[in-house]
Amino acid sequence: MLFWQRTLPVLITFVFGIALVLQYYVPHPASENFLQEISVWNQIIAGFAIVLGVGSLLSTHYLKIKHQESGWGYSGVLFVSMFVMFGAGLWAEGKAEGTVFGWLYDYVLVALQGTMFSLLAFFVASAAYRAFRARTLEATILLSAAVIVMAGRVPLGEYLLPGIGQISDWIMNVPNTAAQRGLLIGVSLGGIAISVKIIFGIERAYLGGRQDDSA
Amino acid sequence: MTAREFASRMLKLDRRIIFMLMGVVTLIPLLYPLGLPVRVSPEAYQVYETLEKLPERSVLLLSLDFDPASKPELYPMTVSLLRHAFQRNLRVVTMTLWPAGTSMAESVVSRLAQEAGKEDGTDYVFLGYGPGEANAIIGMGQSLSAAFPTDYAGRATAELPVLEGVRSLRDIDYAISLSAGFPGLETWYVYGKEKYGFELGGGCTAVSAPKFYPLLQTGQINGLLAGLRGAAEYETLLHQAGKATAGMDAQSAMHFLIIGLIVVCNVFYVLSGQHRGRPQINP
Repeated sequence: MLFWQRTLPVLITFVFGIALVLQYYVPHPASENFLQEISVWNQIIAGFAIVLGVGSLLSTHYLKIKHQESGWGYSGVLFVSMFVMFGAGLWAEGKAEGTVFGWLYDYVLVALQGTMFSLLAFFVASAAYRAFRARTLEATILLSAAVIVMAGRVPLGEYLLPGIGQISDWIMNVPNTAAQRGLLIGVSLGGIAISVKIIFGIERAYLGGRQDDSA
Repeated sequence: MTAREFASRMLKLDRRIIFMLMGVVTLIPLLYPLGLPVRVSPEAYQVYETLEKLPERSVLLLSLDFDPASKPELYPMTVSLLRHAFQRNLRVVTMTLWPAGTSMAESVVSRLAQEAGKEDGTDYVFLGYGPGEANAIIGMGQSLSAAFPTDYAGRATAELPVLEGVRSLRDIDYAISLSAGFPGLETWYVYGKEKYGFELGGGCTAVSAPKFYPLLQTGQINGLLAGLRGAAEYETLLHQAGKATAGMDAQSAMHFLIIGLIVVCNVFYVLSGQHRGRPQINP
């Protein structure tokens, strides 16, 4: 059992991890064909992952309804919405124009997603009033930068305060870029480190099982 | 009531009053627009200039990597870019990496193509949803017809005149990803441009714009349309004021309301005396 559950997956990860790292540096047609084959396999696996994800979502919400946990009615809404949309999509063969699927997409999904995203603006305004306070020097600098960028990124700001657009551009191009680069380098180094650990079987949390199984 | 007590009470202002202010401040400029001019940023101009310099029948790949949640910011960009591409008589290849954006993408592409009198399959094509996120890009980099054997309408891509001579991403003249997150512009850069060497530009929501500035400065992307402002800049360049330009007045008013709220809350914060108990910063 240990071979199938642990050794084989680690071995597959090692072989494919090393092969794909090497592939990047080898422009030979055989290497390119290998990458193409792998990308097709990845797309197939991603398809199965969707089935797995949907299965897991349905199972979680089914249990919520079964045990009548708090908010179980919303789980019912999820079930109904998912099956209605899924059924309409299948019926219309995925085509939107002039179908029930298209109508549901245009007048339910688009409206709901738009509403959810628009609500953010209201919460941002409320949060700005409650939390954006000059408590420390760092907070004051952050607050000043935010005010300049907010004013400099809209026509009214540039009309009332000529030159603020250029200051806003400078903040975006210099301090922001410097900080973003630092983040990018840190995240990339972290990504490389975790990839190496996964390829060499040091990090095995992705296999599931107990926490003490890894490392 | 003392000034301190009043300030303390105002700091606990009911958030519904703020929500109401936001609603009113957004609505008024939409009903009575000011029409203030929009300054064009160098990063937006770069995208425009690249399209202007492409010879006729060059291949533009437009990946509409967003869903309806980001429609207010990215849809006007899509409209302007498609109008420009069709005006320039480019071959336009469109697709999406977001499944929930497929219908929206298909409808905007076909509407604008009809408006410009373009023929489906000859002047433009909508490939549909590319599953597998980065794998879709890698697949297209290796072979476009293998990644998309058929387009959204079910026609074999290898036989479409619009894709004549386009075997992979290496044959694309310019690619633009209009991105609301992952997968999006970053994915196209890491897995597409870096390996297959095509020119890449982008558009994004305002909230994600700061993270693309390092890529812009190093030339890893050659231009960027950032948020509703970026869309309004592109409309200004095309001399076709649309929804983005109309929305800029509302955005101006909202930004100034938030600035006002920040100033007011800090005045009350000082008046209430709460700043005296501020935390110490460790050096």
